[in-house]
Amino acid sequence: MAVGRTIWTEQDAAHERRRYPSARQRPGPQATGRERFWWYFMRISGLILVLLALGHMLIMHVLVELSGQEINFAFITSRWGTPFWRIYDLLLLLLALVHGVNGARIVIGDYVQHHTLRALLIGLLALITLLWLIAGIIVIVAFNPGSGPAVGPFS
Amino acid sequence: MVAQKGSSLVTLFGYRISWAQLAWFGHRASGLGVLLFLFAHVVETATVALGPDVYNFTQTLYHNLPARLGEILLMAALVYHSLNGLRVIMMDFWPRTTVYYRPLTYGVVAATIAAMIPLSILMIAPYAPWGAA
Repeated sequence: MAVGRTIWTEQDAAHERRRYPSARQRPGPQATGRERFWWYFMRISGLILVLLALGHMLIMHVLVELSGQEINFAFITSRWGTPFWRIYDLLLLLLALVHGVNGARIVIGDYVQHHTLRALLIGLLALITLLWLIAGIIVIVAFNPGSGPAVGPFS
Repeated sequence: MVAQKGSSLVTLFGYRISWAQLAWFGHRASGLGVLLFLFAHVVETATVALGPDVYNFTQTLYHNLPARLGEILLMAALVYHSLNGLRVIMMDFWPRTTVYYRPLTYGVVAATIAAMIPLSILMIAPYAPWGAA
């Protein structure tokens, strides 16, 4: 490797593949099948999330307070009374969770060498994600702003 | 990659890495941090299904200084992850920009700090002596 050279060549890529075995498995645009899908998914969902997630943070954590409002049940009733914010929050939940968990999957793949342990951790992560995703979607979709005060599941 | 001679190196988990490579580690750390909050946030928001009393109580968990400092940290992580992610996407789809890897990486850090100055001031205001709204 030449010192002071900044352009990444095919030779450097070959060198990295030899030196760092995990790089060989790292998904890239040249990957095939599932990994190719995830490579594009991370970038496309990332672009959308820049707008959705930063917009969400700016509104909920900065602007709401600046406008003298407070996030409480009444606020959610009003917010999820409009389809726009429900779809916004649904899309944000879906993309953020899948984008984040796929990132975590790649991190696990980089650091956990043991095959069984790796499969176990990734499987557990997928299972938890599925549960959280289903719960989150039900909460957003099933929330009824016209129902008045809810009484909980046991009454 | 071999770090350039004379460039400052830091040791992280036994690896001698350049400040620019720290950007890569920061992307992972901020991503995992935001994901961890997201899992908790889904649970906290789901309490809205249990009615106003429960939900209004869960929201009071945010109404204190440590939580607000955490929110500012969350904002910083998200801003950094977003800007650095845009840099990665740009370099992936427009390979010629990889020549500017270093200045772009430092630019991401600088832009994150620049964005966080007004955001931190706005977010800490209710807890600051000069800005009790």
